[in-house]
Amino acid sequence: MHNVAAIGQQGAVAYLSYVNRLPEVQLQEQQAWHRTLPNGLVLLPDFVSVEEEAALLEAVTVDTDYAQDKLKHRVVKHFGYEFIYGSNNVDADKPLEQRIPTACDFLWQRLSCNEAVPKIIPDQLTVNEYEPGQGIPPHVDTHSAFVDPILSLSLQSDTVMDFRRGAELVHVQLPRRSLLIMSDEARYDWTHGIKPKHSDIVPTPTGSLTTQQRSKRTSLTFRRLRRAPCDCAYATLCDTQQAKAPQALDEALSTHATELEKQNVHVVYDQIAQHFSDTRHTPWPKVTEFLQSFDPHSVLLDVGCGNGKYLNCNTELFSIGCDRSLGLLDVCQGRGQRVFRCDCLQLPIRSDSIDGCICIAVIHHLASRQRRLQALRELTRVLRPGGRALVYVWAKDQCRNDRKSTYLRQNKAVNKQRTTEQAQRQQLSTELQQLTVMDNLEVSLPVHTNRTEFQQQDIYVPWKTKGEQRTTFLRYYHVFEEHELEQLLTEVDHVVLRISYYDQGNHCVIFEKRK
Amino acid sequence: MKLSTYNFLTSMAIKGVKVGYPLKLRITKKDLVESEFNPTFIERLLPKLDWSAVHAAAQQAELADDIPAEQPENIAENELLMQKLHHLLFEIDVLEGEMECPETGRVFPITDGIPNMLLNEDEV
Repeated sequence: MHNVAAIGQQGAVAYLSYVNRLPEVQLQEQQAWHRTLPNGLVLLPDFVSVEEEAALLEAVTVDTDYAQDKLKHRVVKHFGYEFIYGSNNVDADKPLEQRIPTACDFLWQRLSCNEAVPKIIPDQLTVNEYEPGQGIPPHVDTHSAFVDPILSLSLQSDTVMDFRRGAELVHVQLPRRSLLIMSDEARYDWTHGIKPKHSDIVPTPTGSLTTQQRSKRTSLTFRRLRRAPCDCAYATLCDTQQAKAPQALDEALSTHATELEKQNVHVVYDQIAQHFSDTRHTPWPKVTEFLQSFDPHSVLLDVGCGNGKYLNCNTELFSIGCDRSLGLLDVCQGRGQRVFRCDCLQLPIRSDSIDGCICIAVIHHLASRQRRLQALRELTRVLRPGGRALVYVWAKDQCRNDRKSTYLRQNKAVNKQRTTEQAQRQQLSTELQQLTVMDNLEVSLPVHTNRTEFQQQDIYVPWKTKGEQRTTFLRYYHVFEEHELEQLLTEVDHVVLRISYYDQGNHCVIFEKRK
Repeated sequence: MKLSTYNFLTSMAIKGVKVGYPLKLRITKKDLVESEFNPTFIERLLPKLDWSAVHAAAQQAELADDIPAEQPENIAENELLMQKLHHLLFEIDVLEGEMECPETGRVFPITDGIPNMLLNEDEV
């Protein structure tokens, strides 16, 4: 057929052609139908009758806008407790007036007869209304928010739910009036989501595939609040375990600090120098402002100058830069800037000789408190009395006043709701299995998922190079809690804190050496 | 490495070193980078420089006859000297060479114009 046929959905154009065999994607799709269900996943078809379905729908229909959210891709209503999408959690201290309708009570009684299902009496209900074409990105229900199991009742229409764990994918058809029970692995270690589509590809009794139109579907998700940290055995998606720093970690970090910094900071920066330099060209306005605040002919020292982007910011200053990375220093030297190589813990600079210091995004690479303190002491030592220093460190908290930092806002996939942070975390953990993570340090640190909130303070942050040779490098970071930098500064003699602020996901201080 | 940078460098971070200044400079390869003469800049910068290292730099940069051992009074009025200082501090770029700690003899190499002041863990 040498023509274009308009048989695609929603005005899409389909091109027809002959093929020798099914495309690879199609085969994967088929396989995803024949995998065994994730452990702990139970599907009970015809769990409610048509009459019960109608009664349930009636019971959860709320006339007012009460506890109703129109999300980008679906309408949701909450009963018992509101599920807050910003934090992906519930506030256990703020129960809603509207409890789960009593019309739902028969469900748990019916369920309690089933031996294979853990006993539960839910106290939270989320009703999702999906129009055809709507879906929900892959996610795991926040571990610390709800206990095991989670119940999901499908009403009005069938749909297909995708369960994923790393590279594993299992399609599960959810018939109308069925109850899905997510428990154990299925609840904790697999994400689930529904693709935003108008029709689903579903298997036929003969084992091939066909399409099935969706119509409006309402799902009732019943959960019970946990009111405690999660104690599951599945760390990858567990918010509790991601947040909990091992007690011995600080000690281990101190012991291995130099080795860790060498392998996961210095070596990495030398390897990514060119790529790093290419992506670091815009000076931050508040740093520029600080540089402009000095008298002409002042002596400026940039500790950790990187590619030297601040060395020419104010050309009336006498600027010197230093860094550990030869690759980055070469960039500076090529631009005719004054630079030398050293460690920020031992600045090879005369005491009391510098009018202004900047140390931007450096100290968070030091692996112990003692070393971070030492770096501040060195900055102070080289300053002349009355000289001022500006220090920027990465903040653990990447949201301020409900506003995400640029770092988070650049998570394009999550912003467009194509995916979730949890799905990204799962993806990363798969990638890392293929990566030879240098792990002979006896310090086991979690790997941060880029463009998401930090789960704990000491972490590896991946740096992915682009181009043909795609490589992932892990950089060590200690992200700072609020006031941690000021607290460190109180232990430095002869300094006065001038100002502290939060700028684009960083904690910042300006301090002065006492005259 | 410009000799104005040299003026700020010390080896005092080495364990047991008291002053570590000025470092003994040896130049094996240098380049000349012409730059605009700005007498005000030099005049204002001079109080922040240590004359002993200005003088030490001149010794190695074959400008020994031009730069006196002691900083003269009213230096800004001596335009010839200011030009020599400009040349010494801003135009000479040391590409290869080394600096030696005056107390321990530890040598810091200068390679491709970049001084390597890194110390080993057992030196600090």
